Amino acid sequence: MDEIKYDYIVCRYGELSTKGKNRKDFIACLLSNVKKSLKNYPELEYVKSHDGLFIHLNGVDYDEVAAHLKKTFGMSYFAGAIRCERDMDDIKAKALMISQKNSYKTFKVVARRNDKTFPKTSDEINRDVATHILRNSELKVDVHNPDLKVYITVKTDCAYVMDEKVIAPGGYPVGINHKALLMMSGGIDSPVAAYLTMKRGLKVECIHFASMPYTSKQALDKVLELARIVSEYQNDIIVHIVPFTDLQLAIYEHADESYAITVMRRMMYRIASRLCDKRKIGVITNGESVGQVASQTIESMNVISKVSDHLILRPLCSMDKIEIIDLARKIGTYETSILPYEDCCTIFDPKNPVTKPKLDKTEYFESKFDYETLINECIENIETVKIVFNDAKEEEDIF
Amino acid sequence: MSNKIYLDHVSTTKPHKEVLDTYTKLLEKYYYNSDALYDDGVAVYRLQEEARAKIANMLNVRSDEIIFTSGASEANSMAIKGICLNSKERKHIITSIYEHSSVYNAIRQMEDKLGFEVTYLYPDDQGVIKPEKVKEALRSDTLLVSIMHVNNEIGSINDVESIAEIVKKHSGTYFHVDMTQSLGKIAINLDNIDMASFSAHKIHGLKGSGFLYKRNYIEIAPLISGGQQEFKIRGGTSNACTNIVLAKTVRMALDEMVSSAKKIKELKDYCLEELAKIDEVTINSPKNAIYNIINISTNVKSEVMMNAFNLKGIMVSSKSTCGSRENEPSRVLLSIGVDDNNAIRISFDNTNTIQEIDEFIKILKGNIKKYGRD
Repeated sequence: MDEIKYDYIVCRYGELSTKGKNRKDFIACLLSNVKKSLKNYPELEYVKSHDGLFIHLNGVDYDEVAAHLKKTFGMSYFAGAIRCERDMDDIKAKALMISQKNSYKTFKVVARRNDKTFPKTSDEINRDVATHILRNSELKVDVHNPDLKVYITVKTDCAYVMDEKVIAPGGYPVGINHKALLMMSGGIDSPVAAYLTMKRGLKVECIHFASMPYTSKQALDKVLELARIVSEYQNDIIVHIVPFTDLQLAIYEHADESYAITVMRRMMYRIASRLCDKRKIGVITNGESVGQVASQTIESMNVISKVSDHLILRPLCSMDKIEIIDLARKIGTYETSILPYEDCCTIFDPKNPVTKPKLDKTEYFESKFDYETLINECIENIETVKIVFNDAKEEEDIF
Repeated sequence: MSNKIYLDHVSTTKPHKEVLDTYTKLLEKYYYNSDALYDDGVAVYRLQEEARAKIANMLNVRSDEIIFTSGASEANSMAIKGICLNSKERKHIITSIYEHSSVYNAIRQMEDKLGFEVTYLYPDDQGVIKPEKVKEALRSDTLLVSIMHVNNEIGSINDVESIAEIVKKHSGTYFHVDMTQSLGKIAINLDNIDMASFSAHKIHGLKGSGFLYKRNYIEIAPLISGGQQEFKIRGGTSNACTNIVLAKTVRMALDEMVSSAKKIKELKDYCLEELAKIDEVTINSPKNAIYNIINISTNVKSEVMMNAFNLKGIMVSSKSTCGSRENEPSRVLLSIGVDDNNAIRISFDNTNTIQEIDEFIKILKGNIKKYGRD
């Protein structure tokens, strides 16, 4: 059996199908995102219609395009489709081809006519095609739980037979909903938080606190690699690297060891908030999960987030570690996250961090030193890098 | 004819120009120790790991299942001795009588020094180790089955997928395959195979380069004790540039596989047709042998025939090149009943031409006429 060559990919819109008059904007945003992620395939042609997006492959490999679509928010599913003539014999032949692709045992044909002048009704098409598949294969019909659903659509100029649906990640097209500043540590949680934030249509920028030379160059590279991996969901990503060492040393000089993390987190939020103002970003997001560590108890989060007037989203707040790890594996960040480099949170690991910090005590420690100047220095010395996921790396011809 | 004719591609191959160019470029820039923690060392480490991942990807296995070695011989020793040294209970090995010397002698060593019992399987008249024979030979204490994919002297192809199915059902027994002669020649499926050895210089790569595929959960004892390199099972500073360029070597071999197979098959078929016209020639290779190897016997002693060819600038082998300086008859040919000491192995590549085959046949006929004894 020859390998199936798809003529196009049919993409169905996700939740945005329900969004009344914003629909047009949603679809335009999705199309622009899809085009950006597929910019290395100039042969592709795009047609948007009310019920979906059609990508004409024009010879481009289906699997390569599918790999990108699987990482595009705003679609519920997509499927490869073969174009055929408006002719029952051709439709039958192509449907049979698709039914033979995998070792399916049962199938069902679902035909639809956009063109009601086609001489056969949908039901007649269903029966004719099913009979053809039954006669020429081992497959059996199962109308309730088929292994394969063969979708046939007859249009005015052609017909197409669609293969199995591939589930896309859902959500809204990234960019339709403001920007968010993600606090990125290099651990397991923050990349997952980035993914979930993007899923709701927010374009993510990252802020990372680096404590060189207490943390290594590799630790920073790891953060950039994590950013690169999640950037595939929004094509590119901006990472702001804050030189945090001096401020961190001052905290450890002036605050009680048990309060060091509380004060440090407050400084991070202060810096993040200022950066939000500077970059016109409306919301801070991070990988905090309630109760996970001392700084993530309700009492701690309360005292810590007091320093920021920005909305703070914590998409992982109610997730168990094991669920977060599962998702990290799914989006491909887990293996990088667990590389053993120190990050800014683990470097000055206090023995007994406070789990129920008091606001007045925290403020007292902060009053002991001039953190404003140090924060300003941090902001002034931020290094900003932009990572574009599918930019051809300047790679020597090694492999 | 002034140009020499190389018909010994199973012995080794000429490195691809792309491979050599990349290698020299790499050596100049990336000479740092890949385990050093400064940026330049890390860069070398990354490239090496990228190469490992690319090779793993091409063979459909995991990155941590590829261990760089100095070649297939080391990979064979690493697999066989490594697993035997780690085994407390199981003391039985199954292999074939016609393995490459790096497998055969490693197993002999386990037999002589460590008290392993070994079952040596014989090929059938087509030079093939029947999977059923492996099944019959399996015992409750069998630790390892090691059967080569393609025989390097006669070119017979073993059904390693079926053998793998059999060994898989026998818990606690591992299956190792020497795939030196099959990589880049025929399709490779590592699905149920536990360990497999590969070489670079057989596929237009560098000498001193190869790798072992080993399922990540199988524990083997290191042969070279040392540091953290190669998952702690091969000590010594990594031969990083060599390992990095191996990815390109494998990629090119796989990219070219289909097109060059077609060309080599035509050469072989043509050569076989011409050989059939010579009465004194017997074909030792089985009918279903791999497309790049022909083993023949004539009425001239191997050594004499080789020397005569050499004088005319034609390079062929008598048996495995690794045993070329030993005087005993080939273990492989004996196993399929050829004991005449008159064998010659011809092996092709896609750089060979029909004209070269014509020249070879012409000189072969001359040699037979001049030196042949009935």
